[in-house]
Amino acid sequence: MNLSDYYAITPLVFLVCWAIFLLLVDLWIPAGRKGITALLSAAGLLIALVLVLRSGEQVLTAFEGSVVVDGFSVFLSVLFLVSALAGIALAHDYLQRLGLERGEYYPLLLISTSGMMLMTYAYDLIEVFLALELLSIPLYILAGFSRLNLESEEASLKYFLLGAFSSGFVLYGVGLVFAATGYTDFPGIAKAAQNGSLNPTLFLIGAGLVLTGFGFKSALVPFHMWSPDVYQGAPSPVTAFMSVGAKAAGFAALLRVFVVVFPGMSVNLTPLLWALAALTMFVGNIVALVQSNIKRLLAYSSIAHSGYLLMAFVPYGNASVRSDAIAGMLFYLAAYCLTTFGAWAVVIALEKAEGKGLELEDYAGLGHRYPFLAATMTIFLLSFTGVPLTLGFWGKFYLFSTAVEGGFWQLALIGLLTSLISAYYYLRVVVIMYMRPGTPQVQRNFWPLLTSGVGALAVVILGIAPGVLLNLAVSALLKGL
Amino acid sequence: MTIMQIIFLITASVTLFAALMVVSTRKMMHAAMWLILVLFGVTITFALLETRFFAIVQLVIYIGAIAILIIFAVMLTRRSMNADVPQVNRNWWLVMVSSLALFVGLVTVMSVWEGFFVTARTAPPGGENLVQLGTALVDPNGFVLPFEVASLVLLAAMVGAIYVAAERKEK
Repeated sequence: MNLSDYYAITPLVFLVCWAIFLLLVDLWIPAGRKGITALLSAAGLLIALVLVLRSGEQVLTAFEGSVVVDGFSVFLSVLFLVSALAGIALAHDYLQRLGLERGEYYPLLLISTSGMMLMTYAYDLIEVFLALELLSIPLYILAGFSRLNLESEEASLKYFLLGAFSSGFVLYGVGLVFAATGYTDFPGIAKAAQNGSLNPTLFLIGAGLVLTGFGFKSALVPFHMWSPDVYQGAPSPVTAFMSVGAKAAGFAALLRVFVVVFPGMSVNLTPLLWALAALTMFVGNIVALVQSNIKRLLAYSSIAHSGYLLMAFVPYGNASVRSDAIAGMLFYLAAYCLTTFGAWAVVIALEKAEGKGLELEDYAGLGHRYPFLAATMTIFLLSFTGVPLTLGFWGKFYLFSTAVEGGFWQLALIGLLTSLISAYYYLRVVVIMYMRPGTPQVQRNFWPLLTSGVGALAVVILGIAPGVLLNLAVSALLKGL
Repeated sequence: MTIMQIIFLITASVTLFAALMVVSTRKMMHAAMWLILVLFGVTITFALLETRFFAIVQLVIYIGAIAILIIFAVMLTRRSMNADVPQVNRNWWLVMVSSLALFVGLVTVMSVWEGFFVTARTAPPGGENLVQLGTALVDPNGFVLPFEVASLVLLAAMVGAIYVAAERKEK
């Protein structure tokens, strides 16, 4: 029994206990007053946020080295907790409006968040797999939260089946890596890889299977098939949370596992990652061109952003670029988180029951009727495109420069070209909002408006002074680098 | 060839045949029955390896609980009980060829690994040391974290199952 083990993971333990506590408390909260549950869960997330920040930059190892708390995990944990807060802010009014107000939403969201946090702590393949399940299973349910809506049910089932399938890939990969090296903990595997005391073929296949599984989670092409349908069918706040949280967790696992465990495999894996990144950028952006539904458009745009993120990851085997790549990816994830939640807040303000109010045409006239919403949406779309002076520009700038530094200028070129393509469909929304006449109907609720306002402010301020965020991302070091 | 080997060969071939029947039979109920036979075959294999604990777990959990649960689920959904729809679609041969190729590929790859030809190790005398297994699951230096996380996963799944399945009063 060692208390320091539990001390290292206090935020996680607290969040889990709070979620279980909420499950019980929710029984006594009458239907129609679930705002109390929402407030309680937000309070829990804030306390967890304080607990995470308290541990600061020290590196802690716990549970026989199977859990590591370092700058990297603190940075991402903060990101996940903020995402969960935004997920709650967006959800409450929305659920009430669509007649879905149920208390289970909040504990499930907290459990999923704790899974994401565990993913960033995990230093053992067993923990990685369990964290993957812990974050995914609540998301399967949340995707189908709108129970009587067929689209939502379809989304849930599709996500569940493909998610279970991809978990199978990860598990098989973990099994093969264990068979090849005899270890599941990262230092053990890394040591076996250095000594050469392993079976290289099994090891490579294992790494490939793990990559495939994480590729599903982060919606990389060609493992992206589920994401447009799921993003469209799931309730919008869930989609927003999923598109930030699950993606960031997938990339966190990818970074941690591949940088620590498979650095020597980069020779074999780099061409594969190269192709995946290029394909993801192309397919995501080109298919997004023909979408007329805003949720599907954002889904394909989110696929495209996975491609940009993966691009910086391609030269991970190159030790001199590695820390830049990680910092660039963390910066981009933070920028993506702020922009995505802001954009979804606007989508939620316009969405009506039965999937109405989601076509691009429904945004016509927004610029004249609701200048605040239209202005924030414009800022988010510009940031997604990567127009200078927005946060998205700096995010792309750091990713592209890492790719060039690593010697992959062709990839950076593809990134630039596809960003140009993406400008068409992002700016089309802006054009519709300002140039077309129309009478959009907006639900004015405080929390979504606040989310989009805060998001827009952060995107602009951090876009003018990106150094603050960049410093945080640079100092968020992985243990063992 | 010892008696053990003969028993193993018979068990293995029956298990494989039953597994094939699970996926090829048209009636859901029959598939569930064949599944029980498969699981029973695995139980015998565990018993042949002298791992009593796993044999019993296999018997009690997989046959006693999971297979019975599947049968209940089939019986409660009348449409799947009587469904007599085709088992395969047009691409079945393509899938068969690719899965065979995958199988052959995996076996080829694994055969370069020296562990592939090691004869099965039997449990040490005195059984599988269940006490060690038990304490490892609750020991901070063992697997307490994965164990607790797994229980949390089950909790989330349970809440979700109830949410999805429960009758809604309103409307």
